[in-house]
Amino acid sequence: MALLAIRNLTIALPPGSDRPLAAEEVSLEVNPKEIVCIVGESGSGKSLTAHAVIGLLPRGVTATSGSILFDGTDLLREAPEALRKRRGRDIAMIFQDPMAALNPVLTIGRQVTEQIRAHEHISEAAALKRAADLLAEMGLKDVATLLKAYPHQLSGGQRQRVMIAMALSLSPRLLIADEPTTALDVTTQAQILKLIRRAQAEREMSVLFITHDFGVVADMADRVAVMRHGRVVENGATAGVLGEPAHSYTRALIAAVPKGDRYLPPPEDSVPLVTVNGLTKRFRRGGLFSRAPTVTAVDGVSLTLRRGETLGVVGESGSGKSTLARCVIRLLDPDSGEVLLDGADIAHMKERGLRPMRRRIQMVFQDPFSSLNPRERVGDILIAGPRSFGEDLGEARIRAAETLRLVGLNPQTMHRFPHEFSGGQRQRIGLARALMLRPDVLIADEPVSALDVTVQAQVLKLLDEVRQQMNLAMLFITHDMRVAAEVCHRVMVMRQGRVVEEGPTRDIFTAPASDYTRALLAAIPGHGAL
Amino acid sequence: MSFAARFFSRPATLFGFVVFAFIVVIALVAPLLSAHGPMAIVGMPLLPPGSSGLLAGSDVIGRDMAIGLAYGARISLLIGVTSTFCAVGIGVLLGAVAGYYGGLVDDLLMQITEFFQIIPSFMLAMVLVAFLQPSLSSTVIGITLITWPQVARVVRGQFLSLRSREFVEAARVLGMSDARIIFTQVLPNALPPIVVISSMIVGNAILLESALSFLGLGDPDLLSWGTMIGSSRVAMWVAWWTTVLPGLCIMVTVLALNFIGDGLNDALSPRRRN
Amino acid sequence: MKLRYIGLRLVKTLLVTAAVVLLSFFLIHAVPGDAATVMAGQAGYADEAYMKNLRAEYGLDQPLPAQLWAYVSRVAQGDLGTSFVRREGVVSIIMERLPNTLLLDGVALVLAAAGGITLGAMAARRPGSAGDSGVTVLAMLFYSVPQFWLGMMMVLVFAVWFNLLPPFGIETMGADYTGLARIADVAQHIILPGVTLALYFMAFYTRLTRTAMIEVADQDFVKTARAKGISERQVQRRHILRNALIPLVTYAGLQASVLVGGSVLVENVFSWPGLGTLAYQAVGTRDNPLLLGIFIVTAILVSLFNLVTDIAYSLVDPRVELSP
Repeated sequence: MALLAIRNLTIALPPGSDRPLAAEEVSLEVNPKEIVCIVGESGSGKSLTAHAVIGLLPRGVTATSGSILFDGTDLLREAPEALRKRRGRDIAMIFQDPMAALNPVLTIGRQVTEQIRAHEHISEAAALKRAADLLAEMGLKDVATLLKAYPHQLSGGQRQRVMIAMALSLSPRLLIADEPTTALDVTTQAQILKLIRRAQAEREMSVLFITHDFGVVADMADRVAVMRHGRVVENGATAGVLGEPAHSYTRALIAAVPKGDRYLPPPEDSVPLVTVNGLTKRFRRGGLFSRAPTVTAVDGVSLTLRRGETLGVVGESGSGKSTLARCVIRLLDPDSGEVLLDGADIAHMKERGLRPMRRRIQMVFQDPFSSLNPRERVGDILIAGPRSFGEDLGEARIRAAETLRLVGLNPQTMHRFPHEFSGGQRQRIGLARALMLRPDVLIADEPVSALDVTVQAQVLKLLDEVRQQMNLAMLFITHDMRVAAEVCHRVMVMRQGRVVEEGPTRDIFTAPASDYTRALLAAIPGHGAL
Repeated sequence: MSFAARFFSRPATLFGFVVFAFIVVIALVAPLLSAHGPMAIVGMPLLPPGSSGLLAGSDVIGRDMAIGLAYGARISLLIGVTSTFCAVGIGVLLGAVAGYYGGLVDDLLMQITEFFQIIPSFMLAMVLVAFLQPSLSSTVIGITLITWPQVARVVRGQFLSLRSREFVEAARVLGMSDARIIFTQVLPNALPPIVVISSMIVGNAILLESALSFLGLGDPDLLSWGTMIGSSRVAMWVAWWTTVLPGLCIMVTVLALNFIGDGLNDALSPRRRN
Repeated sequence: MKLRYIGLRLVKTLLVTAAVVLLSFFLIHAVPGDAATVMAGQAGYADEAYMKNLRAEYGLDQPLPAQLWAYVSRVAQGDLGTSFVRREGVVSIIMERLPNTLLLDGVALVLAAAGGITLGAMAARRPGSAGDSGVTVLAMLFYSVPQFWLGMMMVLVFAVWFNLLPPFGIETMGADYTGLARIADVAQHIILPGVTLALYFMAFYTRLTRTAMIEVADQDFVKTARAKGISERQVQRRHILRNALIPLVTYAGLQASVLVGGSVLVENVFSWPGLGTLAYQAVGTRDNPLLLGIFIVTAILVSLFNLVTDIAYSLVDPRVELSP
């Protein structure tokens, strides 16, 4: 018999939401000792379904029909007090952002013992001992200090291990994991996934794992359910679904995952447009009297951007890749080094000389929600750049319409505001804005990281086409190796401010020189299986 | 939902808006309400409301309370709005520059606002008005001086956070001048909290003005609600209407403004993403 | 590390106090009308020679920088000068009244915080309910009332109409109580002014607590707490309220100077013998040394209070590093 059986579950959203139902007639099962993944894009209802199981739907969201059977008992009809007793003991849940998921004002020890003592009558000292054992089991070092520490003093990986430790502390039969690795670096992600697999095997526990990444599905799941717009479109053993997807949406999802095997060869005889030599940028926290240490975000980095070529900069958080991009485009002022654009060093130029140069380099930003002024119409956003350089209003408008067409949007929508567009469309608008000044160099700072995977594939294709059409030099920042392989001719790997290695994409991916690059490649979820 | 729909959806806000509109109307038509002004002696002192055709009775020296209350509305609104205008003007200017440019200018502004936080502000206003000789302008100056730091702090915070938003960075990358960025990109997005705080400040200014007049530091030629309460103190125990009515007027006006402020806060909240 | 921080903050307090001294000095001396004229008027003389003597006696005929220097050097020695009107040392006058103001402000602050946090927490538990709306409207009401008028209404209702509590002063005049009886007497007298002063701030704390708790309740870690299966009561106390306290402590610090300012009005209405009434009288009589002295003392007090709240803040929020 299935441990968890969700039957025809329907979840309604509060009035005024963008859609009436989060989940519609969802049915799926989790058997004992098995890992089941629910995979889908944003708005698929996968997360809320998981929340419904543990009874933590947000205010205003209700399960209106169906049943959730756990070991035969319908959780939807259970009394609140009985449900509370199950939480943390029979069913446990871990969440996406471990920093936000831990109480910032309580010590780690307290947060772990709190859960144990909520279900068992033992003393604080005994609970603390169990907590220490658990944390050690999760692979954490220096446990005694950790117990007295606060969440903000730990790294992202450490925090997620603490969360898992808490979830496993009372040996639940079912662990629900809601995108637990999405906010983590790729190497950390690989470790956490391994940890969950090990814990599941050792404790003979069932896991319901929510994710948007089919690579993770390939690595983790025994069975997988694909959700779209609140419905389950496909359900089955992982091998079967991956090998022969029955539903067209599943096929599209799998196809959209960058395989990381495209390996564009660098074009020959391409002209260097931007040369960066020994760029360094340091940050100092705190004010005048602070004794905080200086952080060297970018340490003596050199690179060349050539016309018609995309250079990818890959790294985890803290690698300095974003800071590097911002220094090259002078959103930040580098401390030392040079950035040569057509022979002129723009690294330390005053704003007056810099301004005319700005037309040559433009940027596409990461967050589709905050990269466009919410109070400005799209048409005005596009013509703002050319207008500030004195271009004629009528001409600018005509070009804006052309550019919108170029990025695949209808020029008639120019009068609308950003919030009327989807995330992918907003990124296209951001690209159009950058192209309006007819730059030679385009810097893309994680342009697809915030997008769903199917939309991501479209935008990547668009970026590649635009680069070709306008013969741009492109600097592409990303943390996702698979994405880099999709659009980049050359790849540069960064770690803690320094360049680890650099070369044509094929070389980096098939014959990496450094251990770190090898670790990055090994950590890619589902590599080989997809 | 449109702004108007959101704004009026709360009953409290609607109430506040209607009441405030009513008070504004009264203030505007006050001179038309009667032939005699607020200072004219119309009968025996301390007549209860309703006697001799006096809607609100008469005060300690026999003036028409009702007309006094109507004229009081003019004074309170005038001083309230003028002080707010000045305080917000100064506060936005300084706060915007400090928040956008940071550095020394910002440090300086923070030191100044801290200074104003530490000084007992009401005492400062008291001293200022007293020594500049109590008048309409000195009251406005006093209130403005102790109010602008709060506005500057809020505006500074807004500009500081907006400055690092990606669309502002994009504007810089596009080569826009600082002034253009401040006016077309940052300010429109910083306006909502400024609008909300402004309505709260008008209410606060009215309270401050009434407090100063109560202590005898208001313009001696004008009869504001605070002055009415202050001058009727001696008669409080026997003629409750001389102090209760002006106080109610102040309370209702400020309450209405605060409700409006709350409504504005709700209506101008950023759209939530699902 | 804490000691270094406290040391630096005390130095900062000194600097701010110095700024207060300078600015207040110039403010008071830069406006028309001088003390000698006022004093002469009070004494009934308008004699030029008399006024000249007065000015010489108080150093008012010296050039401004000399007066400033004389004043600053005396302040550094702890001497705040002599009151023009009372002919007593300013320090002793202030010290006589200071405890009364501190008592009143302290009681008001405690009442406001306790009442505000309780009501705000209650309202936040069921947002949108009748209870919540009731509390919110009530808070708004007391936030909009002029304090001096509220005090007068309290006197009207409780002292005049119902004769329950004394309307004036800090203790019954001429009664000469001692010990426990005196404390009881003062306690009776402090109820009306204390509650009046507290109500405005209580309204503020109620709104603040409510907003803070509603915001915190939406955070992920509250969801985690519930997922762990701990009791709802513990979730409210240890997770929601505990984090909502953080912004409250910040605001408590900002309230200090407003509290002192507010007490001017309340002290006036209730004839409470504190610094507020002293300041009011000093303004009326152009008693510059006294006025300056009150400013300086209050500035020091508020600075120290801010120091205490900053330390409290760092204790309440472990993420904060103390930085001057």
